[in-house]
Amino acid sequence: MSMSNGLPLEWLLRRLIDVPSDFLDPPRRGREGRVHVAAVVNDMLTRHGETTPPALLATLSGDLVGVSAAQLTLSAVLAWLLADERWLAAGAVPSAMPALFTDAIPALAAEADAARYVFEADRREELVRTVLARLALLPEGETAHQAADRLASVSGVERRRLLEASRAAEERARAIREALAAKAAAESADKWTRE
Amino acid sequence: MSREPTDADRYPTLSDAGRAVLMYMTEHPHAPVFRNRSGNRLLHEEVEGLRDYERNEGQAPFAWSPGVTPPWLGAFVAHVHAEVPYYRSRGLPPSFDRIATVDRGDLAADVARFVPDSVSLDRLINFRTTGTTGHPLVLPSHPVVAGRYLAYHKRALRRAGITLRQGRGDVGVMLLGMQRTCFTYVSVTPSMDESGLAKINLHPDDWRDAGDRARYIDAMRPEVIAGDPISFAELLRLPVRHRPTALLSVSMALSPSLAAALQERFACPVLDIYSMNEAGPLAVYDEALGGHLLLQPGMFVEVVDASGRPVAPGETGEITLTGGFNFCLPLLRYRTGDHGALVASGEGPVIARLHGRQPVRYQTASGSWVNNIDLTHALLAYPLSRYTVHQYADRRVLLRLAPGDVVHADEASASLASALHGAEVTVVPLAGDDKVLQYTTDVPEGLTR
Repeated sequence: MSMSNGLPLEWLLRRLIDVPSDFLDPPRRGREGRVHVAAVVNDMLTRHGETTPPALLATLSGDLVGVSAAQLTLSAVLAWLLADERWLAAGAVPSAMPALFTDAIPALAAEADAARYVFEADRREELVRTVLARLALLPEGETAHQAADRLASVSGVERRRLLEASRAAEERARAIREALAAKAAAESADKWTRE
Repeated sequence: MSREPTDADRYPTLSDAGRAVLMYMTEHPHAPVFRNRSGNRLLHEEVEGLRDYERNEGQAPFAWSPGVTPPWLGAFVAHVHAEVPYYRSRGLPPSFDRIATVDRGDLAADVARFVPDSVSLDRLINFRTTGTTGHPLVLPSHPVVAGRYLAYHKRALRRAGITLRQGRGDVGVMLLGMQRTCFTYVSVTPSMDESGLAKINLHPDDWRDAGDRARYIDAMRPEVIAGDPISFAELLRLPVRHRPTALLSVSMALSPSLAAALQERFACPVLDIYSMNEAGPLAVYDEALGGHLLLQPGMFVEVVDASGRPVAPGETGEITLTGGFNFCLPLLRYRTGDHGALVASGEGPVIARLHGRQPVRYQTASGSWVNNIDLTHALLAYPLSRYTVHQYADRRVLLRLAPGDVVHADEASASLASALHGAEVTVVPLAGDDKVLQYTTDVPEGLTR
C-alpha cells in the first residue's frame, strides 16, 4: 500500500481534545445510554461518500452483548476525529474507514476507555497514529519508518500486533522453506529449456 | 519427511497415448540412462489456462519503451509492497526509481521473504540455479509457471517463421546437457497433445554406447532441440542425421561462429535465447535488430548504473527486471548481473551488447576438459555463499571464497581438484565487488567459440 503525507499531527491531536463532550456520554445499549453510535458513524461515512456496511451498523447498534460500552464510545470519538474534509484532501480512502471500527477500535478499547484516549497525551497520540497508519497516511514531515517506530513506541496494541505479525511471518517463511525442500518441489516441473 | 512423489503427481492428465510416448522414449534400445524423475504436474484446468495464456502472450504488444514506463507499473509495485514480506518491510519510496534494487545475494539470503502472502504452498516447486555470479539459488515456482515458458518460446519461434506441428505420438522437444552430473528425465507436454519431452545428457557416461547418442536422437526425431553452447558444441561432433525444426540455445552466450556452424549443419534457425531461472525466457537474439529482442510484455526492463539509477537509452549498464510471469517470485528492480544497453525497435525493446554469460571450460590435469557447470556440481556439497574459479594459462586453478566460507577451503579445494583430475588448486579469500564474473580462464581454448 502506498503511504502518503500527510496530516499535521498537532492538528489531529488538537481535534481529538476538542471532541464535544456529548460524544463521551454513555452510548445507547438496549434501553440505556444516550449516544446512537451507529448513527454517528453512519453520518460521518455518508459525509465522505461511503456506504456503511450493514455488519458495521449491527456492530455499533448497541444491540449486541459482545460489544462493550467502551468500544462504542471510542467508535463515536473516532467518528468525530474522521469527520473533517482534510482527511480526504490528504489522500485518505473512505472505503478503508469502516475497517477501523471493526479491526482497530476493539483492540484499543480493550486497553483503555475512550476518555483516556482523549485526555491522556500518550493515548491520544496512540489513537491518532493508529488511525493514520491504518489509512496508509503519514504524519506530516515524517518518513514511513519514523512513523512506524513512533507508533510502536506509544502503542502497546501496536507492539503486540507487530509481535504477532512477526511470528506469523516467521511461520510462513518456515513453511515456504519446507515446501521448497520437499521431494515434490525438488523434482520440479518441465520447462522447454533449462537455464 | 515429505511424501515420495508418484506418476499421478508428475503427470496428472496423462492419457494412454502420453504413456506410450513416455515408454517409447525410455525403453528405446538406444535410450540413455534417465537418472531422475520429473513431470509437468499440470491439472486439466491449468492446461486450458496455458493454451489461453499462449494465445494472449504470443501476440501481446509492449506497452513500454526505453525511458517510458509501462502503465501497469504502479499497480504492480503496490501489489508487491502489499503482498511480499521483503518489500513490505522496507516501505514504499515516493517514486519507482527510488526503490532500492535487489540482486541474487538478496534472494540467496532468504528467498522465502520474496514469496507473496497469497501464494499457496501446496504445489510449490523449485528451480535450482548453478549460477554464474556466485550465489547458488533455490527459486520458488509452480507447474503453471514452468508451463508458461512455452508461450515465449513459441513467440520467439513465430518470429523465425516457425509454427510447431508436433502432437500426439511425437517427441516434441529434446533438452541436451553435457555434464558429468546432469538432471535427466522424460515427460509430456499436455498443451501440445502430450508430445514427448526428453532431457538427456550427451556425456558418454550416461549411455551404454557413446554411438547411441546420435542413434537415439535420430530415432526420437524431436521437432525442437534445446541446449546450451557446450551441449550444442558436442552435438556438432555427433553423426546425427535428424534435422529438427529449430534449435533453442539458452543459459550462456552463443557465439556467432557456433550459431553459424549449427545453422549450417542442421539447416534450421538457431535461436539464442537470453533466459534465466529468475525470469524465464527474456529475449531472443536478432542480428537485424542489433541485439536480443524482449519476449515478455509483462516484464519491464531497465538498464541501471552501479547506484541503481537508470542510464540513458542506448547506454550500457546492468540489466534490471520488474514484473514477470512467476507469481511465486515477482521481481522488483532485480539486478541480473548481466550487462547490456536498451534500445527501441519496431517490434519492442531490444537489449544490445548483452554480455555476462560467457561459458567457460577448464582443462584437467589429464588434459581433458570439464565445463563450469561440472565445477559448480563439485562445490555443491559445501554451503558456499559466493565463490569464483579462475584457471591460469599454466593450468593452475585459483578458487576464491567469501571470507565467511573460508572454513570450507580444504574440502572445497579437494573436491575441485578431484573434478579437475588432480589439478593444483589454490584458495584465497574473495574481496570487493559483488558483481565479479564467477568463472574465468586465461586458457584461450577454455572459452567456447
